[in-house]
Formats: sequence, structure tokens, C-alpha cells
Amino acid sequence: MSTVQIRDARKSYGAVEVLHGVSLDIEDGEFVALVGPSGCGKSTLLRMIAGLEDITGGDILIGDRVVNHIAPKDRDIAMVFQNYALYPHKNVRDNMGFALRQRRIRKAEIEQRVNNTAQILGLENLLDRKPRQLSGGQRQRVAMGRAIVRDPNVFLFDEPLSNLDAKLRVQMRSEIKELHQRLKTTTIYVTHDQIEAMTLADRVVVMNGGVVEQEGSPLDLYDNPASLFVAAFIGSPPMNFLEGDLVGGTNLVLADSTALPLPIGDPKGRSRVTVGIRPEHFTIADSGWPATVSVVEPTGSETQITARLAGHIVRILIRGRTATKPGETIHLAIAPEYVHLFDAAPVPQLAELEDVA
Amino acid sequence: MSAELAKQTQATPARRRGRIGDLLVRWSFMVPAILLLSVMLAYPIFYTIDISFSRFDISSFGAGEWVGWENYIEVMDDYRFWESLKVTMIYLVIALPLQVVLGFSIAFLINAEWAGRGLIRALFIIPMVVAPVVAGGMWRMILDPLWGILNYWLGFIGIGPLDWFGDPTLAMAAVIIIDTWRWTPFIVLIATAALLALPKDVFEAAKIDGANWWSTLWSVAVPLLVPVIAATFVIRWLGAVKMFDIVLAATYGGPGKATNVINLFIYEEAFRSLRFAESAAMAVIVLIVTMVLTGLFLYGSRKLEELF
Repeated sequence: MSTVQIRDARKSYGAVEVLHGVSLDIEDGEFVALVGPSGCGKSTLLRMIAGLEDITGGDILIGDRVVNHIAPKDRDIAMVFQNYALYPHKNVRDNMGFALRQRRIRKAEIEQRVNNTAQILGLENLLDRKPRQLSGGQRQRVAMGRAIVRDPNVFLFDEPLSNLDAKLRVQMRSEIKELHQRLKTTTIYVTHDQIEAMTLADRVVVMNGGVVEQEGSPLDLYDNPASLFVAAFIGSPPMNFLEGDLVGGTNLVLADSTALPLPIGDPKGRSRVTVGIRPEHFTIADSGWPATVSVVEPTGSETQITARLAGHIVRILIRGRTATKPGETIHLAIAPEYVHLFDAAPVPQLAELEDVA
Repeated sequence: MSAELAKQTQATPARRRGRIGDLLVRWSFMVPAILLLSVMLAYPIFYTIDISFSRFDISSFGAGEWVGWENYIEVMDDYRFWESLKVTMIYLVIALPLQVVLGFSIAFLINAEWAGRGLIRALFIIPMVVAPVVAGGMWRMILDPLWGILNYWLGFIGIGPLDWFGDPTLAMAAVIIIDTWRWTPFIVLIATAALLALPKDVFEAAKIDGANWWSTLWSVAVPLLVPVIAATFVIRWLGAVKMFDIVLAATYGGPGKATNVINLFIYEEAFRSLRFAESAAMAVIVLIVTMVLTGLFLYGSRKLEELF
């Protein structure tokens, strides 16, 4: 186990810089998720830590060693790939033992370590199978086994669950979490799925356009998004945004001059803002913002309501059930602590991210 | 089920006519291909088979009196037939593995990213597009015992002069060298494409797992390439059994019968000795042997694919 420090890491492909100086301190045993839309540089950063991409600028330290020019095999890391990257012609046992054999470890010890790992992951009965005889979840488990068996200082995961179906993804997610709690190995986990990042990580690093947007604990990001991007990215269903002028301190006047009273003013005193409110923070009350219900989607434990508020679509998530029907007008109330204010700006389009999440 | 059956039997005449029309249209699209294949492929084959069971009638240039297996028995008794089959086998057994191994090795070596790779790859095509007769003639000059450039170079390292076309073993070597020069680039191209199509992450996993160049080659690249190698072998085999042009141009089967491959022998028997019926019988035998062996190779390569 070991710390990982990234100091102003930069990456260019020719004249195009894709990573504009990223710094991160990852503690020993910490589980850090790098999350962001595709092309944000998260995978590139991970591959730089692995040594699969060279580092254009800055330093990466594993433990107290600068690894910029150290070969991947000597960095004492293990990586789990999105497409598993198993050796197709080797059975599970040989896939897991390959790295150990390369290090000329005694056969008996390899056998023992492979068996131990297989037991942890429930692969004992599959050791003689070839990868193509395994299901997606089993392959993913073998890929993890191949990483675990080496007992590395750092685990690197590159979107390991994105090839699995939704149900299996949730199951593997908890397995990865449990595994980390058991092994306590420093882990860096790349994903585009904010739920995966939130549920797994001790700390989430949101990246966008080659820079770190915000880092913090999952709930910290959820409660205090520092930017519109993070606010839009974290949370499902996503936050509602309304752009308008602040008149008289607490009145939000939208483009069509509808005035919506806010429970608080802007401490920064901006005159034009984008207001963000999470769907689950609206309450349906007797008075408040009037909205016309267009769709009601009950899932049993909660109900999602889509409504129109002065021409804007807003999503409302309430616990339990409701008798509200489409076409009715409801009144939305918000507690002051749940109002997020941002500099007025167009809301980042993250539709593609919702889809995959 | 029964309702469906009833519906089918009740089809109105109009609909049936429509169906026949549809069928006609479909077949009419296939007619050109069928015609072409029958004229170019099926007819010659059946003509050959027909001749092989008959006495050849020179006046009608076709099959005469039916003689059953007579031609086959005569050919099987001819030691020259077996000799040239043996020569062909020697050529195949040496040339095929040599070309496949060499082709994939070169591809593996030039697979790394470097400037000018595209140019080298383009140059590799040249041997393939040179007419076989030209290639044969060119190599005759290169390998000429007296003033050929190869002997000149070999002289520097104290070898030679070698009589490339006078010595039976060297003549076979010469044929194999020319054939390899001609066909290895083809395999290099296939292998390069195959290497580029290999999953990158498996190699990255091997890199992180600490595999060195050698074990990456043996534990990752070769097993992944086995299906392609097998397929390439079969393709090359199909080309190599037809070996004729290079021998014709370079050695004409000589010295003696040292490079007299079966196709050259059949050609000689037919068009020099005018023994058309006998050579047709040989052609049929070779065809059947080739088909059986090709079937075996295909079966083998499928088994290999399953293994990996």
C-alpha cells in the first residue's frame, strides 16, 4: 500500500494539450474515483499513473518515488481494464498467475496465492475455464483477481463495470467496495457514472476538459457543488436549473418575466444568477412556485413528477406516493438551505451521461 | 400451425403467380454468375474428368472411347509422376512454413510505430505485382553462377561460387528463394493487418503484468494470432500447390528432374508429349489430393481456433 501524488500533471498529444495541470494527493488506502464526461482526461490520467502513457509535464509519485520514467511493471500497480483484457487462450488460473510467473515466484507460492484470491472472489470452480467460457461478471471478477493476486501498492480501475448490465453492475459495485474495505489497498477508479463514483469512493474527483472541477467526499459534492458543471453532473435525477435576474434581493425573474420568490438572497450580491434545486428538495405545499404537472412516474418507494414551471421543465422527486395527476397545478416550496446559486451560464448538456448512468 | 397450413394451401392463383414471378426475378439475378462459373470453372473440370476416363481423340479434341480407369492405372505406374509429386511436396514442406514464419516475424518487427513504415509497406507490394515470368528471369540473372550478383556477394564471405541452377539441391533452393521473395510480403501485409487488429488492452495488461518482449510474443501475440496464422497458411497453401510459373521461368524443372513440380510435369505431358488423357488423369488426382488436404487444413485450423 502506498500514497499517490500527482503534481501538476500535463499531457499533450502533439500540440494539443488534453490534461492542463492536474494535482491530487491520494492517501494510503484511500479509494478515489475520477469521474467526468468522456474526453475529460480521467482515463488519460489513470493511464499516466499506470505508465501506459508518458507524462508530458509534472510529476507522478507512488509512495515517495517519482515514477515518471519507471516502467509499468516496476511501479507496483495493478490495473483492471474496461474490456477485462484477459489473455484469451489462458485459463483463469494462468491468467491470474501470469504476473507472478513473470516475477519468477515459486510455483507452489503462485498456486497458493491464486487459490487464495480465487476464494476471495468466488472463482474456485472456474479456475480451469477459458475466458470465453465465462460470463461478463465472471470475467470482470477474474480481471480483478489478476490484480489482487499481485498484492500491489495501488489498484487502478478503468471503467471496469461499464460492459456489464445494470443489475450486475450494482452487484459488482458492492463487491468492489467490500473488497476495498477488506484489502485496504489504495485505489484509483475511473468512471463516467457519477453514481458509481459516489457509492464507491471515499473521495470523488470531478474532472472536466482536462482540469479538476472539484474534489471532495461524495456527500460534500452533492451538498456543495462548487460549479454549475459539478451541480449538473452529480445527482440523479439531475438538478433543476433556472436562469434569471435577482430583483429586490430574493425575487428571481425569469426571461418571460415570471417572478419566483426565493427563500434566500444571494450572499455574493449577483444580479443575474442560475438557481439550482435538486428534484428531491422540492416539497409540494399549499403555496409556492406554481407548476403544471405533465408526467407522474411512481416507482413504489418514490415518485418522480415532471412539471412545467413558466415554460421550464422541472423534475420533482418525492418520497412515497402522490395523488397528483397530470394537468393539475402544484405548488413547490424549497427550504433555504437547498437553494444553490451559480453565476448565470448555460447549463452543461449532460444528457449522454444520464443515459449511461 | 394447422391454420397457417390452411392459409398456405388456400393461396389464390394470383398470389401464386406473384410468387413464381418473384422466384424468376431472383434466379435471373443469379444467371450471369451461374453462366460464368459453368463456362469458366465447371465445364473445364468436367471436360478434364471426361478426358481422364477416355482415349483422347485428337481429331475432335475431346473424349473418345471410354476406357475406365486405364489412364489412372497407367499414371499410377509411372515413376515420373511420383517423382514430381515428391518434388512438389519438398517444395511445399520447406517453402510454406518458411514464408509464414518469415512473414509474421517481419510483420512483428516492423509493427512498431516509426517514420517511413508506410513506405516500407508499399515497397513490400512490389514482388507480388511483378509478373512471375519476369521475377523468374530477374532471379535467373541474380543467381547466375558466373556473373550473378548473389554469388558475387557470397564470394565476400568466402562462399561459392555456387552453381544455383546446376546443382539439384541448390536449384530447389533457388526456386524456394524466388517463391519466398515473391510471397512473403503478401503474408507480411496480412500479418501487419492482423497485428493492428489485436486488442491493445491485452498487451497493456501484459506490460503491467511485467511480461518482457519475449513472453509478450509467446504468451500473448502468438496465441492471439494463431487463427490468422492458420488461415494465412491455408491461403498460401492454395497458391503454392499451383506452383508452375516460377519453375517454368527459372529452372524449367531442371537440372534433370530436380525441380520438376507436378504442374510442370502435367503441362509437359499434355502439351509436349500430347498425352492428354494421361495428364488429365494426373490433374484429377492432384485436384482430389489438394481438396482432401485443404479440407484437412481447414479442419485443423478450426480446431486450433477452438483451442485458443
